[in-house]
Amino acid sequence: MIKNNSIVSSFKKRLASLEDYTLLVVDILKNITSYKTSWSNTIQEMYSVGPQALLLIIIGGLFAGVILATEGGHNLVTFGAITVIGRTVTLGMIRELGPIIAGLLLASRTGAKNTSEIGAMQLSEQIDALRAFGLSPTKKLVIPRVVSALVMFLPLTLIADISGIIGGVFISHLTFHVDLAYLINSVMQCIKLKDLFVGCIKPVFFSFFISSISCYYGLSTSGGTTELGKKAINSVVMSSAVVLGLDVIFTKVIWEVL
Amino acid sequence: MIELENISLALTGRTILDDVSLFIEKGTTSVILGPSGAGKSTILKVILGLLKPDKGSVIIEGRNIVDENGNDALDVRRKIGMVFQANALFDSLTVEQNAAYFLKESRNKTPREINTIVEEVLSFVNLSGTNKLYPDQLSGGMKKRLAIARALAVDPKIILFDEPTTGLDPINTKAVLNLIKSLKSRGTTSVIVTHILNDAIAIGDVLTVINDGKVTASGNLKDILNTKDQFIKDFFYEVFEDASFFVNNKKE
Repeated sequence: MIKNNSIVSSFKKRLASLEDYTLLVVDILKNITSYKTSWSNTIQEMYSVGPQALLLIIIGGLFAGVILATEGGHNLVTFGAITVIGRTVTLGMIRELGPIIAGLLLASRTGAKNTSEIGAMQLSEQIDALRAFGLSPTKKLVIPRVVSALVMFLPLTLIADISGIIGGVFISHLTFHVDLAYLINSVMQCIKLKDLFVGCIKPVFFSFFISSISCYYGLSTSGGTTELGKKAINSVVMSSAVVLGLDVIFTKVIWEVL
Repeated sequence: MIELENISLALTGRTILDDVSLFIEKGTTSVILGPSGAGKSTILKVILGLLKPDKGSVIIEGRNIVDENGNDALDVRRKIGMVFQANALFDSLTVEQNAAYFLKESRNKTPREINTIVEEVLSFVNLSGTNKLYPDQLSGGMKKRLAIARALAVDPKIILFDEPTTGLDPINTKAVLNLIKSLKSRGTTSVIVTHILNDAIAIGDVLTVINDGKVTASGNLKDILNTKDQFIKDFFYEVFEDASFFVNNKKE
């Protein structure tokens, strides 16, 4: 009986959280243009989300491409199909690994940053101070973070794609002795508009959900530093899960529809 | 000026305020006194509109702000300054940027006017020359004074203080209390929430004692001490045990 009650109360709590998150999303969508009034904040956030994450994204993309080429190459050699290694790496990076790697890395980096910053502001009553003066935390804190993520995630994903393809091409050349000019040519030939569309639409959605989820967890922080730590973990876990879930949905839907 | 009528509020199933009524006159320094967890800070949040009561009304300058939504009550809210217990300073901004923050947000002053006001309020709280420092480079007392300066910058008619001297040494406590007293000369209405009796007695024109979300007594010090309530006697005993007035009351 007691266990049932705790399950019910936990379910109710999650439902209430989902309701609060939905209200935040509605508030974001209603006020998204207010980033203009917090322009300097938005620029600052863009710098933090974009250029400061560049090295991480390049390394993440490069390693993903190298792994994809190494694993894929050995299997392709078995079937005598090593010549399609360039195509495999390119499409794998653009359609799947690039957005996923960028999404997961940014869910960890940007998500943890947003939650801990806003959560610390919540604990030190800075958000109450904004509300007390009639300023909306959504407009002042959440929207600059969402807009900067929306703007910066796509170029970062493309950078992850490119570094992955470069890594994959070099590994294919060095390990499997595929001609470099042939590899470059097959990379250029295989990219189609559909692949680019798939690769570009994902980061737009990933960025919105990562930034809004992480801000929501920050705003819902209460108690003390232990709670803030838990919120940061939950934010990264939830953002990563949403990135993976959305990726599955996109892949399935796009292959069915397009 | 500020009137709370039969305010009741429950949070997560727990009653925080139970039929609280308060009247705070214009230009006075009113102290809300009580033990930790009595509901004192919640009263400030209700006045600010950060918490909506389940029952009752909050009348500020003749307007019941409970009935109004966020934007309608904005002009009333902007007449109220708040000094939070943890100061709520923006740690990524310098002293002058903190002091100017709400002035800039209100968008009705030129940069030159803002600079003049910032210099004036920083001088008033004795923080001149610290303009370029960040909050983490300030002492506890200086942070509190900066929080007061930020609240004063928007020229509020009412300032609310949440535990303004908690965690301060005696010298800084005295400085902050003197600062609060001096606000009276500017015609500002001050509402202070504290659990420190000495502070309440030092600055309060009117004291209101809260316990378990209920108003136990209200009035000047003598009125309070004349009440027969056992909680009041226990709460004031530590400070007044040597006073013949209280000893007589206690003997009763």
